[in-house]
Amino acid sequence: MIERLIVDFLLQFLSVDQLNDFLSDPRTVAILVGMLIAVSTGLLGTFLLLRKMSMTSDAISHTILLGLVVVILLMIYVFDVVPDLSSPWLIVGAAIAGVLTVISSELINRSGLVKEDAALGMTYSVMFGIAIILISGFLTAVHFDNQQIIMGEIGLAWADTNNYCISRCDDVVITPDDSRAKTGRQCINCTPPGVDGIKPRDPEAEFETYCVNCGTYSASKAWGERLIEAPPTQVFWPKSLTVMAFITLINASFVMLFYKELKLSTFDAGLAATLGFRPQWLKYGLMILVSLTAVGAFEAVGAILVVAFFIIPSAAAYLLTERLSHTLLLSPFIGGLSVYTGYELARGNFLWLVDIGWDTSISASIVLMAAFYFGLAWLLSPRRGLTSSVFRHWQNRRRFAEYVLMGHLKERDILTVEVLSHRLNWSEQRTQRILQRLQTRRLVTDHLQLTPRGQEALARFSHWRTPMQPSAAIPDASDVMSG
Amino acid sequence: MVMGIDYTLLVVAVGSAILGGVTGMMGVFAVLRRQSLVGDAIAHAALPGIVLGFLLSGRDMGPLVIGATLTGWLAAMLISVIVSTTKIKQDTAIGISLMAFFALGIVGLTHLQSIGSSAVAGIDEYIFGQAATMVQADVQLIAGLGLAIVTIMVVFWKEMKLVTFDPDFARANGYPLRWLEMLISSLLVVGLVMGLRVAGAILMLGVLVAPAVAARQWTNRLSIMVILAGIFGAVSGASGAVISGWDAAFPTGPFIIVIAFTFAVVSIAIAPGRGLFWRWWRQFSDRYRFAAQQVMRDLYRAIPANRPEFAISTQKLIALSGPTAPIGLKRLERKGLIRRCEECELFQSGHCPGCWLFTDQGLMAAQSDARNQRLWDCYRCYAHDLGLPLIAEDRQCDITALLTEDAVLRLEQLSD
Repeated sequence: MIERLIVDFLLQFLSVDQLNDFLSDPRTVAILVGMLIAVSTGLLGTFLLLRKMSMTSDAISHTILLGLVVVILLMIYVFDVVPDLSSPWLIVGAAIAGVLTVISSELINRSGLVKEDAALGMTYSVMFGIAIILISGFLTAVHFDNQQIIMGEIGLAWADTNNYCISRCDDVVITPDDSRAKTGRQCINCTPPGVDGIKPRDPEAEFETYCVNCGTYSASKAWGERLIEAPPTQVFWPKSLTVMAFITLINASFVMLFYKELKLSTFDAGLAATLGFRPQWLKYGLMILVSLTAVGAFEAVGAILVVAFFIIPSAAAYLLTERLSHTLLLSPFIGGLSVYTGYELARGNFLWLVDIGWDTSISASIVLMAAFYFGLAWLLSPRRGLTSSVFRHWQNRRRFAEYVLMGHLKERDILTVEVLSHRLNWSEQRTQRILQRLQTRRLVTDHLQLTPRGQEALARFSHWRTPMQPSAAIPDASDVMSG
Repeated sequence: MVMGIDYTLLVVAVGSAILGGVTGMMGVFAVLRRQSLVGDAIAHAALPGIVLGFLLSGRDMGPLVIGATLTGWLAAMLISVIVSTTKIKQDTAIGISLMAFFALGIVGLTHLQSIGSSAVAGIDEYIFGQAATMVQADVQLIAGLGLAIVTIMVVFWKEMKLVTFDPDFARANGYPLRWLEMLISSLLVVGLVMGLRVAGAILMLGVLVAPAVAARQWTNRLSIMVILAGIFGAVSGASGAVISGWDAAFPTGPFIIVIAFTFAVVSIAIAPGRGLFWRWWRQFSDRYRFAAQQVMRDLYRAIPANRPEFAISTQKLIALSGPTAPIGLKRLERKGLIRRCEECELFQSGHCPGCWLFTDQGLMAAQSDARNQRLWDCYRCYAHDLGLPLIAEDRQCDITALLTEDAVLRLEQLSD
């Protein structure tokens, strides 16, 4: 229904052919679906990361498989229906499995006999193991192979569609008088083959004419039988697009509606409980949404690689910002970027720089790109990155050496480079280098005496005492110069 | 070879048993150091190494193990580097490292498939585990590696124990903590990588954790725990391999996990001294014991000194010791410490049929209990002044058995 409305809405702007071209392009659909997954997982992943529950998402994404398998087995053996991988019951089963994982590992942990990590690991591997046994024992016929479980088929997301007819949609009814009706002859008093009696060739055999292809045909079937001249105009709408859009909407509205509660219970669960919020309920809500998202993403990226979508973009965003709201915006963005560039990587195109010349799994390539962006954030994050902290360390060392040297110059009026380097236990080259730097900045005279400006800078340094903030930068001597 | 047993099955079972045993032993250290999820990351991260080894030399197990060890070890290092240089916590670091390496492995694997490498199906065995294709050469390699791991464990036993339980103490005593931690991680990596063949990358975590968890319930000694975990792991490995050997469609890993998990759950339930049933039973029996003790003390306090012929009514005892009094009375009566009397009197308030009275035996028990408590009180107050040895205060114990006669005598003098 909703899909139909969306299709009608889009057709206001596009022709049917344009829309179909758009929707039947594997790349477009894969990237769209991937981005929806990135947004929905990125939003939740941030909270998982902050709550130290990243590995819980790992566990849940494994165990939803058990939920799916059990529901499918129930469909086949109990309710006797054809298993349908887009049935909403699958989502219910998976959500139950997800919450069950969390609850049972918490129960094992709460017995006090097993630590948290071991409890989680034990629970999820046994649930996943049972799922694998059930699959290999009972479900070999259904398309549920190992590859699907691990990495999904985002490249085929365009192929699984709901079809919406736009024009020439009328059912075709063929009656015996119709010109398209085919007639056949049938013997009415013959005996079955192998039994003695009247045979169609016998003169006694009586025949009647009947219509071979009478009946009602849907438009697309009628075209398949060539009963109509032109095919019906149809829009092929990929199913996973709707599913993921729906899940993204749910996650986004959950985060927006409960933003305050989530923030509070994430950073201070005790306070949240005291103020009368229910951090436990929020936690289970979060777990249900994680299971839901993992199920939605199951067909596209598989049960295992989806974990990376939860964890890695959020971690990269977390390194880049200090604010929760910024992390929440940045993490879907990084996820989306990984999807876009990851699709290219799967075709061998690494950021349009290098052609690797392979053709490989799209979802795994997306994860690799996400890991690449995480590495970039790790190296280049402006405040906490490796590069900036190495640089800051180096800068602080240099400034500290300058001040120490100036302090020595202040105590004694005239010192030589040799004496200075001996007293500071530095090499003469180093002392010379630092002195030169101070001299060019006119903090020290050529006769190794502090200039008035140098004395001012030193005084400022000695007044600077903030023992509580060891990471803050030492004030720059050049500040004094400019001021 | 052996009568009645299929030779292939025997090879597979022996190989799986060794793998399960070694992994179970290493799992003890992972679980005790709370690093079991690192094991998960290592197992997943072995995949790119396996693909690499496969690219270089085909299906030989040796190169595959070397490649897997390399990438698994890198993943473990990546985790510790992320944790030490960023504000990211360990769980997320594990997730990142796990997924990055696993994705790399999948990319390599699909690439191999797309270029149509013929025996690539063999790598699937390392994802979900398939013991049935093991041959004798593999088992020899496995046995060699397993022996090496166990030997290293025995040689560095003291150090590993120390690092596991008190790393700060180890560092303070001048042990090279970083190297020892690296040694344990390396052993863990090799153990896990070996087990991959049988249990598969995804389920390896369960083989690592479940035997250790099961073993932990039965003992408090590290050596016994390691041996038990090895046995549990070996039994799960062998039986999982045999069960899945019935039908080639079944991967081995899941069965091993289910068996090992069963060991763990049963151990958690019934292990003596620690298990759930044991704990419930102790709580249950303690309730009776304490109720009886309480009632005995209240009864003793309620009767006038030196007049044990007076009785106390049940109502009075309930008022004194609370609603558990009837339970306690029943227990005391069964042990012959108190009795109901028909003819006795209540103190100052006349006749009382069905009231409670100490037997001679009960009176003695109550007196010695009261004395014991009094001595404990005195010990608590004056132990320091009297220079008595320091003993743990456990009021259920008889203090006279813990102190010298002389000390008891002095305490008694004080208590009067």
